[in-house]
Amino acid sequence: MNPQEREELLKPYLPAAPHLREASIKRKQRSNGTASGLGVRNVLRKQFYALSFALIHAIFSVYIRIRIACHAVYLRIVSVLYHHHHTPEYIQRDVQGLSRKPKHLSVILSLEESGKRVDAKEKLISEVADIAAWCASAGIQMLSVYEKTGILKDEMQQSHREISSKLRNWFGKYQAPDLHLHSPNMPVVHPSYYSAPAHKGAGEYGIAIMLVSEEDGRESMVDLTKVLTVMAQKNKLSAADITSDVIDNELTSSVMAEPDLLISFAPYVDLQGYPPWQIRLTEIYCEQDNQSVEYQVFVNALRKYAQATFKLGK
Amino acid sequence: MSIKADANVQRWIATLPPIAWALRQARETLIGTLRQGPIPQHVAFEMDGNRRFAKNNHIETIEGHNMGFEALAKVLEVCYKCGVKVVTVYAFSIENFNRPKSEVSGLMKMAKLKLEQLCQHGELLDRYGAGIRVLGERDLIPDDVLPFVDRAIEMTKHNTDAVLNICFPYTSRAEMTAAIKATVDEFSMPSEPPATPFSQARITETIRSKQPKRTESSTSLREVSPDPAAKSDADDSVSSTTTLNPGSPRTEAKGKEKAIPFKDAESITVDSINNHMYTADCPPLDIFIRTSNVMRLSDFMLWQCHEDTHIFFLKCFWPEMDLWHFIPVLLEWQWRQKKEREGGSGKRLKTE
Repeated sequence: MNPQEREELLKPYLPAAPHLREASIKRKQRSNGTASGLGVRNVLRKQFYALSFALIHAIFSVYIRIRIACHAVYLRIVSVLYHHHHTPEYIQRDVQGLSRKPKHLSVILSLEESGKRVDAKEKLISEVADIAAWCASAGIQMLSVYEKTGILKDEMQQSHREISSKLRNWFGKYQAPDLHLHSPNMPVVHPSYYSAPAHKGAGEYGIAIMLVSEEDGRESMVDLTKVLTVMAQKNKLSAADITSDVIDNELTSSVMAEPDLLISFAPYVDLQGYPPWQIRLTEIYCEQDNQSVEYQVFVNALRKYAQATFKLGK
Repeated sequence: MSIKADANVQRWIATLPPIAWALRQARETLIGTLRQGPIPQHVAFEMDGNRRFAKNNHIETIEGHNMGFEALAKVLEVCYKCGVKVVTVYAFSIENFNRPKSEVSGLMKMAKLKLEQLCQHGELLDRYGAGIRVLGERDLIPDDVLPFVDRAIEMTKHNTDAVLNICFPYTSRAEMTAAIKATVDEFSMPSEPPATPFSQARITETIRSKQPKRTESSTSLREVSPDPAAKSDADDSVSSTTTLNPGSPRTEAKGKEKAIPFKDAESITVDSINNHMYTADCPPLDIFIRTSNVMRLSDFMLWQCHEDTHIFFLKCFWPEMDLWHFIPVLLEWQWRQKKEREGGSGKRLKTE
């Protein structure tokens, strides 16, 4: 193809040339001065656009409502058919055929804004406990929970108690996995009987939950920059020493590592301020139009993850 | 039938005068209609699937890339006509350098060709009113491609209506690292007092000359004022009072300040880092679109996809992307904006 051919190719997609555009504007202005024919035409055109905008959005809103309803019905049916019945064995069966599983799963949960804060927190903790139980059954040992406001981080001891008791309901008192509750810059909450790291065959049945909030995202990078600045001011390092490995190392050890799979339980992908550094190659899953924390979404996400191919650099 | 012949037939039909006219009218009406609602200010595209599209349709990879380029032209036209101010596209990742050497050189050849084409069609780009910017690690661009990059930027510099950000060679982590580095640099440079025509020494002199003469201050004044070195010292805001009242508590406070002539590290905020991002002067990212059904950000716009960014993963391959794939995205975004505004949770109002 030579330049002329390419120009011909693109011509239909181009707006009028600037000088043509100006000429037409001038023409319009002139005609506005003499006769208001074009002015009326413009008003009519505007009215027409407004009308068709209203029409298109009316149609679209009907379409989206139907879509939401269809998705809701589908999820309902599937969740009845494949219910886990609070039995780890059923979940194991569901994930058995998957070619690979994420080592580190991350979820985004959101606090309900209506109603009492205490009730909303209660609900959040029970959701975390459910997801933890699914993960433990599926053999995922690292779960990070992102909640924007950070409400889960207060009174971690209590959260630990509640989640542990839920796990005991699932697995029975003696088979329940050890729960370790982490949060950036906070001491880890271990089970009360937990003593040494090599307590049980290298934590075979253990599950670690990391609680992350908005302040661990951009804010943590700001804090890191502050530290680096102070070091540079004291001549302990020069700006050239700062590489992405240094930053990666710091953020990984002080906040968290990159998750393999991120599940959003919102109707559409909304990161809500999720740590930007850590989300680089994370597979993101979001069940369209889904509103709540459902087991079926979790299983669908794992299935999609197993199918996805990883190619760094496209 | 091959995809190329298919496309040719389609093009032939589309160029029949009545059909071409009708299509044109339909597009204009649609775009004019969508402009009635809120319009995203910044849209990012991750153009994925050129190669897979080529493979699926049994055409050559380079042909897939060419069709991808055509798709980009179509999408840009729709975006700018709708009123989108900034479009960011991911052209080449730093990770792409890890591919086999032959492939990298082939891709670079293509980049050169495309930029050369852009330069040949400079006046066509003017019609969009779009200025090109290249975001990424400049020193990684091969020497033979760099002049073309600069020429493309130079040729469209005067266009300020809209911006086309081409990320080449770019990764978001490299961008964030560079921004942190620049912030550290900014805050570890000694802060100079701003240059003013007013002399602090002169002010001190004036004040002192108006003051009733006290014995101790007048002695120190007589010792100090004829000395030019002391005068220049007094110009420095840090030590100006030292000569005035030696031994006063204020002297000590000022002396401490002199030890740290840096900007306070505690005053670093998200904005100070944000100002060093490549997209610092762009409006916040409203829509992120990735094609070919891959649900990852893949090191693109990590910092920018923060809040209020609506991420769409489309099933189509990038060469198939056109108005009809973009409009559902835009409609859904407009619908969500309306919902948010009704719900009162979305405080951010769009400028139309």
